[in-house]
Amino acid sequence: MLTDFFLYIAQGTAVTIGVTLVALPFGLAVGLLLALLYNYGGRWVSRAAGLYSLLMRGVPPVVLLFILYFILSGRLINLSPFWAGSLSLGLVSSAYQMEILRGALAAVGAGQMTAARAIGLTRLQAIRFVILPQAIRLAIPPWSNEASIVLKDSSLVYALGVPEILRRAQQLSATTGQPFLAFGAAALIYFALVFLTNRALDSLAERTKLPTQPV
Amino acid sequence: MDSALILQARNLTKRYGANIIFQDISLDVQKGETIVIIGPSGTGKSTLLRCLNLLTHVDSGQIFLEGEEITAPGINEDRVRQQIGMVFQNFLLFNHLTALDNVMLGLTKVRKLPKPQAHEKAMHELARVGLADRAGHYPGQLSGGQQQRVAIARALAMDPKVMLFDEPTSALDPELIGEVLGVMAQLARENMTMLVVTHEMGFAREVADRIVFMEKGHIVEQGAPDDLFERPQHARTREFLWKITELYGKKEKK
Amino acid sequence: MKRFWLWLSLVLVVSLLLTACGGAGGSRLDAIKKAGVIKVGTSADYPPFEFVDASGNTTGFDVELMNEIGKRLGVKVEWVDMPFDSLIAGVQEGKIDAAIAAFNYSEDRDKVVDFSEVYYTSEDAFTVVESSSLAINDPASDILNLKIGVQTGTTQDDWLTALVDEGKLPAGNLSRYDRVDQIALDLKNGRIEVMMSDAVPAEALARQLGGLKVIYKGVLSSGPMNIVLPEGDAELAKAINEVLAQLKAEGFIDRLAVKYFAE
Ligand SMILES: Nc1ncnc2c1ncn2[C@@H]1O[C@H](COP(=O)(O)OP(=O)(O)O)[C@@H](O)[C@H]1O
Ligand SMILES: [Mg+2]
Repeated sequence: MLTDFFLYIAQGTAVTIGVTLVALPFGLAVGLLLALLYNYGGRWVSRAAGLYSLLMRGVPPVVLLFILYFILSGRLINLSPFWAGSLSLGLVSSAYQMEILRGALAAVGAGQMTAARAIGLTRLQAIRFVILPQAIRLAIPPWSNEASIVLKDSSLVYALGVPEILRRAQQLSATTGQPFLAFGAAALIYFALVFLTNRALDSLAERTKLPTQPV
Repeated sequence: MDSALILQARNLTKRYGANIIFQDISLDVQKGETIVIIGPSGTGKSTLLRCLNLLTHVDSGQIFLEGEEITAPGINEDRVRQQIGMVFQNFLLFNHLTALDNVMLGLTKVRKLPKPQAHEKAMHELARVGLADRAGHYPGQLSGGQQQRVAIARALAMDPKVMLFDEPTSALDPELIGEVLGVMAQLARENMTMLVVTHEMGFAREVADRIVFMEKGHIVEQGAPDDLFERPQHARTREFLWKITELYGKKEKK
Repeated sequence: MKRFWLWLSLVLVVSLLLTACGGAGGSRLDAIKKAGVIKVGTSADYPPFEFVDASGNTTGFDVELMNEIGKRLGVKVEWVDMPFDSLIAGVQEGKIDAAIAAFNYSEDRDKVVDFSEVYYTSEDAFTVVESSSLAINDPASDILNLKIGVQTGTTQDDWLTALVDEGKLPAGNLSRYDRVDQIALDLKNGRIEVMMSDAVPAEALARQLGGLKVIYKGVLSSGPMNIVLPEGDAELAKAINEVLAQLKAEGFIDRLAVKYFAE
């Protein structure tokens, strides 16, 4: 009985992971593009990117989910609840990832760009071979934090009828009248997922760390 | 030394907003010549160097490299920068790359050399600055003097026609200055054309073919080291030379 | 780069205009019959109306009813589990063809969606032991001094809890149970004086167990329930209402009520 219980909730894990695996890379791609436009794109492009970030971070994720699924989907494009939900969360995350990345790009410093241009690299080459490899290293720790947030926010797709971990816990809580067990199981699964993600990214950060002079 | 004109600046003016950094500066550089630019800080020396390799743009005036106007519209600026090497006060090595990869990057990405050739060339340049044994080290694992020598090798790898040095030893501990100046003196002996902004008067005296004294956006005076150091024409030059020896004298006593 | 953004915004604006002009039109009924599937939204956390059973199936009074309606329309029901709050928007925007989740009619909702005929009126009942001389005329005041039993999470529970929150009904007077039959047993044992529940299970219990009587029936906590349908789709509404009328006439709905509310 208890294992059935746990298994039923754990089936939502696939959805949670699926949503995260769409939202996070999508948010990274958009966020990276925007961060580059923000840092290197001319005044108006930079302002537009900043405005996008402000808007996306200012709107509750659920509102965006509803706009994309109930209003835009079916008119502009046809999206299943899963894709509408995942892409909405990706859009929200893109704003946060943009902030992380533009901070990291700025932290690399203007000098690296100057030095790269001075040997004849184009701007794009300089960004690709000199700025980004350093910025991404700096961005891993805050990005790890964003990854856990997206993982946890993935429960929001239930608003569109995609049943993931949290929803399954709600259902079981209602049917069995054992909220402690139901939500406890959900919490345990979320914790395990976040824990594993953070550990993986920590080890990535460790492996890509640049050596410094031994003190 | 043949006296072909390699770099020519004509009536350069640079403003930042309402601030005029320098005005109507003209300078002819002969092939193989080593020019040392001295002057108080804030005078526009760095800005002048950055204008010469198009890292920033002059507001008016022309610059010619081997007779070709590089300030002309439509010029390929990346190609120009490739031909004018630059060494910065704070080294600016690419922190995520080893010494070897720092030198190789321009070779593989700009000059598009195949990897083995780029590797060979990069090792040659590192050997030139005495750092072949540090090829696998990251900037963070090198001393300031070593980092600056890698930076010089990185610039040399592009086979530049002119090398610009912007206070290459100002950020170094005194005991590390010598190794960098040594490399630069060696380059001068090999007839590299060099423009060096520095406060190292010993180096200026021994290595320079010509000293240019700049102040407040103007070239006040220029000439052979002996003339300029022994018989400065302007009161300003005398004053500056006196101050700089005073300053460096004090530094050495510490 | 500038040109790229210009084009992008142009494309967006044009496609918005195009879709805004393209009218809807036609009944969903044709599409549903053609696909052989009707998408129905519910919120499966409200037993006994809709919930997930031990084997993970969506079931309940509403769910079985809708499955039967689907069968009679010759289509399969595809269940979409959503938060209760998303269901109206889902029907409104055509993401689901209908929603059934113990919805009560409201004027606000009627502005954006349509309602089927009432398929079930949930009446509340107060039940006491047969020997009791209690009488209830105005429940909101008559029950305040009584020991009451109610099923956890029902609309009756909500109604009584509101009285407790308002400070009218002492919290100690209210006992909550997991199942209605447990309340009935405690009623017989004398631990409580009156049971508040849905009228359908109340009457079923009185019949099954004996020794109990329903002394009050009326709509207090919930009321008539309707299926939520797309705004203005008369054809779909007609088809569903016809099946509902059949099911009522055959006693199907009453049997379903006994099954779900009397257990
Ligand atoms: N990017 C810039 N924007 C505005 N002002 C600048 C910029 N770079 C340099 N300046 C100004 O130009 C003047 C000359 O600076 P610089 O060329 O660095 O002098 P030097 O190298 O002789 O010390 C200084 O007053 C400095 O503040
Ligand atoms: Mg300077």
